[in-house]
Amino acid sequence: MFNLFNKPKDRQALINPHSEHTTLIINKGNTLLNSALNAGIDWPYKCKVGSCGTCKCKVLSGGVKAQIDFGYVLSPDEINEGYVLACQSELKSDIEVEINLNK
Amino acid sequence: MRLFVNARYLIVPFSSLVTIFGIFQGNVFSWIGVILFGIYTLIDTVTKDIHLRAEKDTNGNSFGIKEFQYVVMYIMLPVFILLQVALAIRLYQFTSGSTLEELIFLGIAYESGISFLNLIGATLSTGLWAGLGIIYGHELSHNKKEGFFVSRLIMALSGASHFTYAHVYNHHLDLGHEDDPATAPRGRNVYLHSWLSHAGQSKYSYDLEKNKLTKQGKSVLSFHNKWIIGYLYSLPSIFLFIWSGGFLGLVALIGVWSISNFLLEALNFMGHYGLIRKSGTPVGHRHSWDNDNVFTSWFFIEIGRQGDHHVRGETYFWELDDVGAPNYGIGYFSLFVLTLIPALFRSYVKNLLEDWDSNHATEDEVEVSNKFKALGILS
Repeated sequence: MFNLFNKPKDRQALINPHSEHTTLIINKGNTLLNSALNAGIDWPYKCKVGSCGTCKCKVLSGGVKAQIDFGYVLSPDEINEGYVLACQSELKSDIEVEINLNK
Repeated sequence: MRLFVNARYLIVPFSSLVTIFGIFQGNVFSWIGVILFGIYTLIDTVTKDIHLRAEKDTNGNSFGIKEFQYVVMYIMLPVFILLQVALAIRLYQFTSGSTLEELIFLGIAYESGISFLNLIGATLSTGLWAGLGIIYGHELSHNKKEGFFVSRLIMALSGASHFTYAHVYNHHLDLGHEDDPATAPRGRNVYLHSWLSHAGQSKYSYDLEKNKLTKQGKSVLSFHNKWIIGYLYSLPSIFLFIWSGGFLGLVALIGVWSISNFLLEALNFMGHYGLIRKSGTPVGHRHSWDNDNVFTSWFFIEIGRQGDHHVRGETYFWELDDVGAPNYGIGYFSLFVLTLIPALFRSYVKNLLEDWDSNHATEDEVEVSNKFKALGILS
């Protein structure tokens, strides 16, 4: 109950845990994409409104809060495999995420 | 400064309330929405050379107060409902033969019935301000939480709930390309564009739902279909107007929707007329026309800063700025008047498009522009 009065915590995203291991802090209300871009990470993107799918990435562990229905851009299989749109994802917990930064 | 920056965006809320008040008062005040539109066109023309940048504090933060601006935008939903209710009451009085008497309520004179001429004024006023209210439907379409739903409801009041999905998933993705029905190619006039853009966006929204539901194994003809749900949101308006005015009510609603959707599509028309983008290339500032003189900026809650908006689609309107996008040099009201006379509009944009081809377009974009010129379409 007393958790109601605690300030929400910032979350962490571990990007590409099986290769370069970049850790990113994501403030509440910020999206994964904007946080990555603000940190100088060359995350691929085009529209930033959830319509092009360029910022698509795969969440390996943890959960995100989708700002929009990913179903318009991602297939049901992709969603089941953990793919999300970084530009429309806030973090519900710390996550590990895989993204091809060399696109 | 903080108070001023936030209060200056209240022109439309204030004017909408004045318009509603005028319709309730009746008589010549039914025309007040039309008169305001004319006055604002004059102010916009006179202030065409005054341009301001987005103000920021010493830390680089905007003075805009998100909570305040969102409360205002949400309140506009019941305001626009009240606008339709005001017209519906007048329709009921007209069709039921209410006498034209001047009465007093709380010290304010109002007319108990309405003449046919003033009913036309009330209908035009409602259509114009419902149309101008679409700026809130647009802004909220970029909010991915409850604002998106409010956007759908605001647009549904004009029978255009499909806009919210089509704008985000189609217009922002395919801008400047033939796949975007909201981008007007060179040579098209605003009257044709309003039909093609409206129908094209609705079709896109339907196809979007169809593809999603097919992928999910759900029926297209079901309540999972947001395109269908969107049109169902418009049913209360239809019932209200038919109940209040019968056939005349239906005619009035068609009039209101025609005006409001024409204004919406005129904004789309002006925002990207004749601009070209090669499919697959990133959207840049050059793919939108800015209309950012001071009155247009404040009245249209910075929607005229299209160059910045299309590159930073997630940015709140009060943070949008001049980014060096191609600029018409006049505001939306003044330009809207020009678009109503297609030959005049094309004459006005001819030099602007030549400048765009020479100083903004890439080689690929010039190649497309040359195809238009080969067909004799210069603007």
